[in-house]
Amino acid sequence: MALIELEAVTRTYQVGTESVRALRGVCLKVSRGEWLAVVGQSGSGKSTLMNVIGCLDTASSGRYRLNGHDVSHLSDDELADIRNREIGFVFQTFQLLPRETALANVELPLVYRGLGARERRERARAALEKVKLADRMAHRPNELSGGQRQRVAIARALVTEPSLLLADEPTGNLDSATGEEIIRLFEELHRMGHTLLLVTHEPRLAARCPRAVRLSDGEIISDGPGREVALQNLRDDPRLAAPEPR
Amino acid sequence: MQAFLDNLSLAFGTFAAHPLRSLLTLLGIVIGVATVVTMMALIEGLRVKVNRDLSQLGANVFRVDKWPAGIQIGKRDWQKISRRPNLTLADRKAIVDHCPSATTASASAANHAQRVSTSSAETQPNVFVVGVTPEYSETAGITIASGRFLGEAEDVDARPVAVLGPDVADRLFPGANPLGQEVRVRNRPFAVVGVLERRGKILGLFNLDNMVMLPMQSFLSLYGKKRSVSINVQAVDADSLEKAQEEVRRLMRRRREVPALEEDDFEIATNESMTKTLNELSQVITAATFGVCVLSLLVGGIGILNIMLVAVAERTREIGIRKALGARKRRVLAQFTTEAVVLSLVGGAIGIALGFGLAFLGRWTLGLYTAVPAWAVALSLAMSSGVGLLFGIYPAARAARLDPVEAMRAE
Ligand SMILES: Nc1ncnc2c1ncn2[C@@H]1O[C@H](COP(=O)(O)OP(=O)(O)OP(=O)(O)O)[C@@H](O)[C@H]1O
Ligand SMILES: [Mg+2]
Repeated sequence: MALIELEAVTRTYQVGTESVRALRGVCLKVSRGEWLAVVGQSGSGKSTLMNVIGCLDTASSGRYRLNGHDVSHLSDDELADIRNREIGFVFQTFQLLPRETALANVELPLVYRGLGARERRERARAALEKVKLADRMAHRPNELSGGQRQRVAIARALVTEPSLLLADEPTGNLDSATGEEIIRLFEELHRMGHTLLLVTHEPRLAARCPRAVRLSDGEIISDGPGREVALQNLRDDPRLAAPEPR
Repeated sequence: MQAFLDNLSLAFGTFAAHPLRSLLTLLGIVIGVATVVTMMALIEGLRVKVNRDLSQLGANVFRVDKWPAGIQIGKRDWQKISRRPNLTLADRKAIVDHCPSATTASASAANHAQRVSTSSAETQPNVFVVGVTPEYSETAGITIASGRFLGEAEDVDARPVAVLGPDVADRLFPGANPLGQEVRVRNRPFAVVGVLERRGKILGLFNLDNMVMLPMQSFLSLYGKKRSVSINVQAVDADSLEKAQEEVRRLMRRRREVPALEEDDFEIATNESMTKTLNELSQVITAATFGVCVLSLLVGGIGILNIMLVAVAERTREIGIRKALGARKRRVLAQFTTEAVVLSLVGGAIGIALGFGLAFLGRWTLGLYTAVPAWAVALSLAMSSGVGLLFGIYPAARAARLDPVEAMRAE
């Protein structure tokens, strides 16, 4: 049985009288343990798709089954529990609490899991060490660089050891060395059997994933091994071929 | 439990982040609580003080008088009261002779605002001169600091002797022994035979120590015989207090020829009846205080409502993040409700502190007796947390209902 099963999922935003169709009939199956890259132009619906898969947003029509359960039947609180226990989310814009320290931010999902203060602290510290931020734990987000904030966001997604990790541009702000560390981390998680979905603009990263899908205008237009989809994406969007700044 | 602690520390964190804004918001609650605490401190102080003063009357004593005593509430027909016949020394004797439940009775009469002097010193014209029969030392719970009290023979013969209150003694004989010395009241000489123990002031106003006691007959010859006396009656014991009152009432009605259906043309006041009028007064004050208090708590509550709505709007993104990471609705609701309650409890605590401060200030500057009752503190805390809960629940419910994705987009 597939872990993620989308059938003709649409998501339509109502903006005034106009309706924006961010997803138009997406069908996607992801098995447990897969590592999938999602590529596509800006505005193609990648983040919207991640939100639906991450149980943050609900489809306007179609069906989404997570682990065999149709999530449209679940209450808000049940969805909150699923997000807390099963899903780690690295948001495109980090979404850290500005008033809290890096450590407190990473602790947050554990707070809602009902863990005691000491265990929370230990696990959050370990997660920050994994992303090489052991020396910045007491800093607030505005005292951190963009890349450091991104790593805090990653640590927060990893701290619950989720079975499904959703990452929206997790290496977008990182230099290639740090980015590489993070990718290694993902590879390790993949080896350990976690399921990973990873939105990226970087063809090099997509190429390393066993599987990739490409979104265009709210539809999946290609689905295959990462290398192939990445190449195809490169051909269609020459801007992405520009050498990466170092 | 962990969740509660987490919410609590979040709430204090918010307070620390905006202390000034929070304090301004709390003004209504602070004022409301401070009013309650201060007024309750005054009333309680009054009550404690009056009870203590009344107990100085002597054990199991009640007072028979022409005039109503204590604080009067409601209308009385003062003209009718002034036409009442005077109480006399013969009435006192009759009570002692004919009321078996009364052990003893004393008569007293007083003149305010008298000047007392010696050849070398004089007092302000504010001394309270009291004429008493010898039994007064028992019925009024008098204790003597030095010398002795007035005796039976001195009263009968209207001898020129006096017992001084400590303030008068200090004023006229500073640093000297007043016993055996001479004082002049209305230009007549009196020999000092005793000095009273210090008793303090009633309600912080009437000075019990600024007085001179004379034998009743001396007093009457000094100030005129046509006046009503007050009679203090002491019952055998606490159980026969009511019986003694009934005996005295019947005797007095007979002696004063009050027709059967008429009401008494005299007053019988016990500690209880005076306490009762005081309690009635304090109830009126309490009701007025609560009016003020409820109004300011309402203002305070609207302040809480406002600041919590602002907080929810400002922190929409934070709420979105919390929900995205797995906070259930109730958890968000609890977080913001706790914040509102903590906020208003801080206001309540400040108000209590302010109330204590005002009560102390009243004591130092005005000499009022004040005591903050524990229940007023408990009530204030309960009221302020109630206000926080009542007015915090709506903003918190709004926070709990937010959609995580939309909330995270907010800026
Ligand atoms: N809350 C919203 N209200 C209205 N329109 C929205 C909303 N969210 C997204 N959209 C629209 O849906 C479309 C898909 O948006 P989405 O954020 O999924 O794109 P994306 O692929 O993640 O782009 P990017 O790579 O720039 O992050 C866009 O056209 C966007 O304008
Ligand atoms: Mg996006």
